[in-house]
Amino acid sequence: MSALTGIKVLELAEGVAGEYCGKLLADFGAEIIKVEKPGSGSPTRQLGPFGAGDKSDGERSGLFAYLNTNKHSVTLDLATADGIATLDRLLAHVDVLIDDHNIEWLKNVGVDLEVIEQKQPKLIVCSITPFGLAPPDQRKYAEDLTVFQSSGWGYHTPSGADDSSKPPLKGAGRFLASYEAGIEASLCIVSSLYEREASTLGRVIEISKQEVLASRIDYVLGQMIAGDMDVSTSRTQFDLAGPSGFFTCADGYSYMWISAPSHWEALRQLLGNPEWMNSFPARWLELECTPERVKQCRHHVGEWLKTQNKHEAAAAAQKLGLTLVAVNNAKDLIESEQFQFRQFFTEVKHPVLGAALYPTAPYKLSETPPSISVPAPLLGQHTTKYLAKSGGVQ
Amino acid sequence: MSSNASDKREKMRGGPVRGGPLQGVRVVELTKVWAGPYAGKLFSFLGAEVIRIESEGSLDVTRTYGVADINKAPGFQAVNPQKLSVQIDMKTKEGIDLILDLVSKADILIENLRPGAVRRLGLGYDKVKAVKPDIIYTSMGMYGSEGPLSYQTGYAPCFAALGGLSSLVGYEGGAPAGMNLRYADSTFGAIAANASIVALMHRRRTGVGQFIDVSAVECMASMIGDTVMDYSLNGVIHESDGNRHSDMAPHGVYPCAGGEWITLAVSSDVAWQALTVAMEQPELAVNPKFVTLAQRNTNADELDRLLSTWTATRDAAELTTLLQARGIAAGKSQSSVDMISDEHLWLRDFYHEVTNSDGSTRPILGPGWKMSRGAQINDGAPRLGEHNAYVFGDILGLSAEEQTRLAAAGITR
Repeated sequence: MSALTGIKVLELAEGVAGEYCGKLLADFGAEIIKVEKPGSGSPTRQLGPFGAGDKSDGERSGLFAYLNTNKHSVTLDLATADGIATLDRLLAHVDVLIDDHNIEWLKNVGVDLEVIEQKQPKLIVCSITPFGLAPPDQRKYAEDLTVFQSSGWGYHTPSGADDSSKPPLKGAGRFLASYEAGIEASLCIVSSLYEREASTLGRVIEISKQEVLASRIDYVLGQMIAGDMDVSTSRTQFDLAGPSGFFTCADGYSYMWISAPSHWEALRQLLGNPEWMNSFPARWLELECTPERVKQCRHHVGEWLKTQNKHEAAAAAQKLGLTLVAVNNAKDLIESEQFQFRQFFTEVKHPVLGAALYPTAPYKLSETPPSISVPAPLLGQHTTKYLAKSGGVQ
Repeated sequence: MSSNASDKREKMRGGPVRGGPLQGVRVVELTKVWAGPYAGKLFSFLGAEVIRIESEGSLDVTRTYGVADINKAPGFQAVNPQKLSVQIDMKTKEGIDLILDLVSKADILIENLRPGAVRRLGLGYDKVKAVKPDIIYTSMGMYGSEGPLSYQTGYAPCFAALGGLSSLVGYEGGAPAGMNLRYADSTFGAIAANASIVALMHRRRTGVGQFIDVSAVECMASMIGDTVMDYSLNGVIHESDGNRHSDMAPHGVYPCAGGEWITLAVSSDVAWQALTVAMEQPELAVNPKFVTLAQRNTNADELDRLLSTWTATRDAAELTTLLQARGIAAGKSQSSVDMISDEHLWLRDFYHEVTNSDGSTRPILGPGWKMSRGAQINDGAPRLGEHNAYVFGDILGLSAEEQTRLAAAGITR
């Protein structure tokens, strides 16, 4: 058995955060009943990347396929009294509810967070929303971009924004805020399941994406809030001085982190003890890191790296103790010997999308490794399994 | 379980039992800098008793970097509230034995030392398992603990570069500019914490502990799983594309008066129509360049120019109110000044005070959740060795004489 075998989860969530949370639980063996709208299903079915073919059938979204492995799909029309009554019966049979709607929507489908703990004391309810269940009027409507920009990360992305005429950036991919919130939700749900084993009590959990993201910058923001680090409207307020950064290579880009005397000595060996390094004080990185030296250092390293291939240069540097790495893209990840060794990607055969490599979980567990046993469900694939003809629960 | 000892500590410090889902769970941290300590902070915020092993001989850089008083290091204080600190010198045999003794009375050991360091110290999984067969042993490494590249090391921006994130962040057609350089450690820590608690649940139901091996680079790749799927399915390699989004347009950050920026994301044709009303430019609503998402994406550069012209002279907060009233996802891009003065975060007690051992108070932030029957978060980060007496006396049962001897011998310096 895997770690969460036997745990039943009802997923009302329709966005990436809730679906990712459900996936994290499902890949450890939890049984996820995903409630979808008849007809169109989860909104993530309509989002790319799409596999080949006519995407109008709602079964070709690579996003949905990735986020919903190991889950069961039940279609339920929550706009009808019958649908709501069925939901109520389903809820009585599960351990966990994951939702990402607002509080009024939940109430309308019969889930009243004010009384749920009295009504179903064993149930763990996890709500994931952009700004919590009672957002102010100025934050009622939100997307991952606006959340990211509200968290402190956005304004300071990228680092080293020297040209303030260019806008702050969105961060990597489309759903960073959602993935982060999904992880936090899983952590809280599993902790609650753990405690419930002894107390037999459920819990209501409220995840705010903004707060998850802001708490991820605690090292900086925690100092700012305590008055130990300056705040300003500077776009570089989160940054550190020094020559660390991106460099162009012959076949792409690399990133070099250099902050300690040991890095500097490793760089000297890597470059063959070039003359220019001798004019720098030994501990300049810590004690005498002037903009002029940073510029010179970056120039010389850049001249060398642009003649090098990113993976080879990184391997040579790492062997000397210099933290130089390749800037990877998706192809690099799939071809990475390290990822292959750890089997981070696994082939999943989806009945419509066919066979493809999917990212798995970023952790190995010796006793209960997460795994993908079945592909994401077709819309309504498990409706009859879970709902008897009478509308009852099997 | 360690609930008795935990209750005793609470009594000792005169505070109430903190509660929370991990009440009674004991975690030992062999961690450095940010990622490992962040995982420890999440455990402590969920109610666990988290003990950080430290030593004068190998102080964490966040205790010493740019500070005069190691007990008031701001970075350390920000990431280590509500933890305990015990001093044990890991470079001595007796120190290692003390750590093994402590771990035998713990539930989770989490480490993010350099590759191979725990094994060299005699604190590898096999050694720990011998004294505590059902331990949850969580190891955090840039590339994980095994594999052809596991010898390599790096700091947070290296994780993001290797994991495929940095190549996606930048202006259209330009070189990678990357995530903010602070990004990656805390995410890595949160993911390690999640896996650890899953293992704890498994142990509660089966009595079986396990070894967990977390890779920072894989954590990063998980944050762009859907982007990687586009390569798997279609061979598409994405590059940095500014603030573009395949499913929304406009989608970006636009200049406002006074050097401020507003962000907005238009997720439907209805929202686009509402935006043209807010802009008082009804001709845009019927302009064939912008009617559908596909058209708006094709003409995104022109759309961004039009929007920037409209936003540039306006106040970001006023614009936000105007756009939200029309159902459009919009908000200010928040600077560090905006962050510490965010009224919503204060009202929700996201920012809240803890009490240090000297009685002074300090605001901290987080966590990212609220929960019923949650853990109280009362204490600031510990002074170095603040909990030596509790750990050596109450948990390990060492006599006062033995504690004095260990201190004199430098084992608990």
